Amino acid sequence: MTLDLTAAVWVVTGALFALGLAACVLRRQLLAMLLGIELMIAAANVALVHHAGLFSDAEALAAVAIVIAVAAAEAVVGLSLILRVHRMGGGLDAGELSELRG
Amino acid sequence: MTLPIVLAAGALAVVFGVVMLLHRSLYVSAMCLLAVLLQTGVIFAACGAPLLGLLQVMIYAGAVMVLVVVTVMAAGGRTGPRFADFSIPRPLAWAGLAAALVEGAWLLAGAAGASPAPAVAHPALQLGLGAALFKPYAVATEAATLLMFLAALALIPEEQP
Repeated sequence: MTLDLTAAVWVVTGALFALGLAACVLRRQLLAMLLGIELMIAAANVALVHHAGLFSDAEALAAVAIVIAVAAAEAVVGLSLILRVHRMGGGLDAGELSELRG
Repeated sequence: MTLPIVLAAGALAVVFGVVMLLHRSLYVSAMCLLAVLLQTGVIFAACGAPLLGLLQVMIYAGAVMVLVVVTVMAAGGRTGPRFADFSIPRPLAWAGLAAALVEGAWLLAGAAGASPAPAVAHPALQLGLGAALFKPYAVATEAATLLMFLAALALIPEEQP
């Protein structure tokens, strides 16, 4: 039963991570890329939580709590950067932001 | 009991993740990511970490996704028709709503003792989480808290010259 649950968790984790990676690589909008990053982080957290339950590892749960906090901060910074780029007339397309200005 | 819940929540998460990847509208993508994150919170609870499941729901559904939607409203409207793609596909919306209701009822019934326990509880693991966060990893916890505070400062707009 434990092996079945582990296999199910790994399948879900792998699928979610692949979807997040595909969103990050294939979508052109900056916001969609940020959503893909969030999806990849959530997928990694699922694997960590299952690992913690499987091996009674409280440190893995602590790592997940810290990752959730850091991911929230990363999302806030990313969204503020996207808004700043939009206000400067940069648009939301990642293809238009391939060069530095200055 | 854990395996069917993980399978159901995982399947729903993957379906919503596929829609998030393929749909053109950023609104729909954000809503689908919200559904995925809610399902991962259910998986957390099923795997014996209800506190982290609640944290996931509160931080992502209550804070981050609101910011994402506000950002889409503020910045995404000019690139295309604003409301044409707003509507999420109805079967998908009903599936997400039904899943949220069923899982919420299941969690509440499990908490009240009216149904089989949703997952194997690990009291020692939850105690160990608190001990790990505030003893050996106290500096990392404080650093993450400070990082969240500094990130909040990024939202304050600068004065226009």
